[in-house]
Amino acid sequence: MTSTTVRASEPRITPAKALAFLRDYAVLILLVALLIVLAIASPSFFTFANIINIINQNTPLALIAVAGTFVIISGSFDLSTAAIYAVGSVAAAWVAVESGNVVLGLLAPPVIGLALGVFNGLAVTVLRVHSFLATLASSLIFKAIAVLITGGSLIQVALPGFSELGRGRVGGVFYTVLILIVFVALMWFLLKGTVFGRHVFAVGGNPDAAQLSGVRVDRTRVMVFALSGLAAGMAAAIGVSRIASGQPQAGAGLEFDAIAAIILGGTSIYGGVGAVWRSVAGVFLIALIGNGFDILGFNPQIKDLVTGAIILAAVGLAAAGVKRR
Amino acid sequence: MFTSNRRRWRLPVAASVVFLGASALTACSGDTGSTGASEDGYEIAVLLSSSQNGYNQAVAEGVQNMADELDADINLTLLDGAFNADTQLSQMETAGVGDKYDGVVVVPFDGPALAAAFPLSNSIPVASVLNPIGPEIEEMEPQVEGVVSTVAVPAGEAAAKQAEDVVSYCADIDPCKVVLLVGQLNAPLDVTREASYREVLEAEDNIEIVTTVEGNYDPDQSATTITNVLQSTPDVNVILSNADQQTKGAQIALEDAGIDPSSVYLTGGGGTTESIQNVRDGIWQADYINFPVSMGAAAMQQLYNALTGADVESYVNADEVGEVEPYATKETLEETPDFTGEWEG
Repeated sequence: MTSTTVRASEPRITPAKALAFLRDYAVLILLVALLIVLAIASPSFFTFANIINIINQNTPLALIAVAGTFVIISGSFDLSTAAIYAVGSVAAAWVAVESGNVVLGLLAPPVIGLALGVFNGLAVTVLRVHSFLATLASSLIFKAIAVLITGGSLIQVALPGFSELGRGRVGGVFYTVLILIVFVALMWFLLKGTVFGRHVFAVGGNPDAAQLSGVRVDRTRVMVFALSGLAAGMAAAIGVSRIASGQPQAGAGLEFDAIAAIILGGTSIYGGVGAVWRSVAGVFLIALIGNGFDILGFNPQIKDLVTGAIILAAVGLAAAGVKRR
Repeated sequence: MFTSNRRRWRLPVAASVVFLGASALTACSGDTGSTGASEDGYEIAVLLSSSQNGYNQAVAEGVQNMADELDADINLTLLDGAFNADTQLSQMETAGVGDKYDGVVVVPFDGPALAAAFPLSNSIPVASVLNPIGPEIEEMEPQVEGVVSTVAVPAGEAAAKQAEDVVSYCADIDPCKVVLLVGQLNAPLDVTREASYREVLEAEDNIEIVTTVEGNYDPDQSATTITNVLQSTPDVNVILSNADQQTKGAQIALEDAGIDPSSVYLTGGGGTTESIQNVRDGIWQADYINFPVSMGAAAMQQLYNALTGADVESYVNADEVGEVEPYATKETLEETPDFTGEWEG
């Protein structure tokens, strides 16, 4: 009887539970809060056209961030995604112009991205160089390749149909949005529903234990870098198609935007913890800030300040939950 | 066993990578031919803001063209500033010591910051392209000891000219909604341009500046930001940009929004081949042309004059080096049908 009384007086939501909830869903809470604020502030915001535009604009970043989630969960970093994007961008334009074949041109970036991703994976596993340094170095090599292909200038593509991938629509929805949805669904399944996904978590959580458990740690690492390279290549194909020109400086800063989105989403920078949906939410939280600034006509000089503050708030919320635990 | 096997072949792999890298470096240095000052000719350092940029490449091409034309055994060494003020400052300081170089042509990434390298220890002459070196970014006469010539146009003056043409276009439109699409609002030159735009446009009662957005000299980012702006202001009349890459992005955004780009006053700056064609086709209304190849050539000429004791023009107006009206419209371009622009950007 007594014990029943005590149980009834216990609060259902404890501070610890609330903090744990904040830690787990900080990015979603901020995303929803920002959506509400922007919808109230501007009637132009919550329209089908604007939402589709936001997704379309951020598809390249989202592709890179989603694949980058695998890399970070596995305990590594990929700082070469922007450079792979640049190589893919100029390679697509070059192949299309030289061959006159649009499809061949747009297929080049994913293929090259996959190859460069495997190169990164081998650099990390064979040379035993930390991924941070290995991909920093490889990014310099890749950027140099992009410059050498173009001589520093850009390659314009005037072939009909080249822009269809980046700018074409079906039923008012950009092809890129559909590509992103399919890619996210596949990656979600790959991470949560396959043996490979479990290996990625195991490698990031404790590589030694994973090795002893029979997980092929190096092969898993090579595969996550290959995935990251493939995604950067796909992003490059979309980007180059959109502006119909390949540039060696294309994608500058994308690698840091992607990592910021992944961490902002709540994937652990130390590896072993994370989810695809988190990175998608992180990408669109950052995207909404930019969209909001443009729609509301705010001074762009304070955009970085606001973005940084929101990232700090989200990461701080997540960290608070961890400390209490 | 597993570990020792790995170690056994890890070293040769690493050594191979280092060897390949060293070989590549050796090959590259052979290409530049920069082996120090020659006894009869001149060693010139060409400091680019970035080697990964079409504009800078065009300047370098102009410098090379003039070096060839002068027929004076001039050897050029290109250095990449990587769009980094500190990197370029270090390169200038390095060029300013010892006897490796006889002169410098520079495209300053940050003119005020680069002034810290002056006076150079070896007192070699420096010619600046596009931007002046010194604290006053609108002052074209040399501001620091060692700079012998500046080939440029005051950024504010050029921006004012663009804005004045917008005022003319807007004369019969009330309100005339203008979007300012500028490069980077943390860069002194672009801040000057935006201030200049506003000074001219805000004096007109019928002109409404909707917003200022950053294009970062990137068509993709510009397309994104103009797409966003069009959500709240689909009836924009003018998109005033300081760079062709940005105007290209704005054009893409308008097309994606179902707006005919030629129905909006679109203008840019740079004079790329694509932008010249767009103006000829009536898709863009105007473009402020730069002549980077000619500017590079003019800088090399002035530097050579300084090295040989000939008369030097301390300020070369960059608008006058291309022999084409710099503020291009469809009408002005019809007078020069063979002009296609000096660079791809």
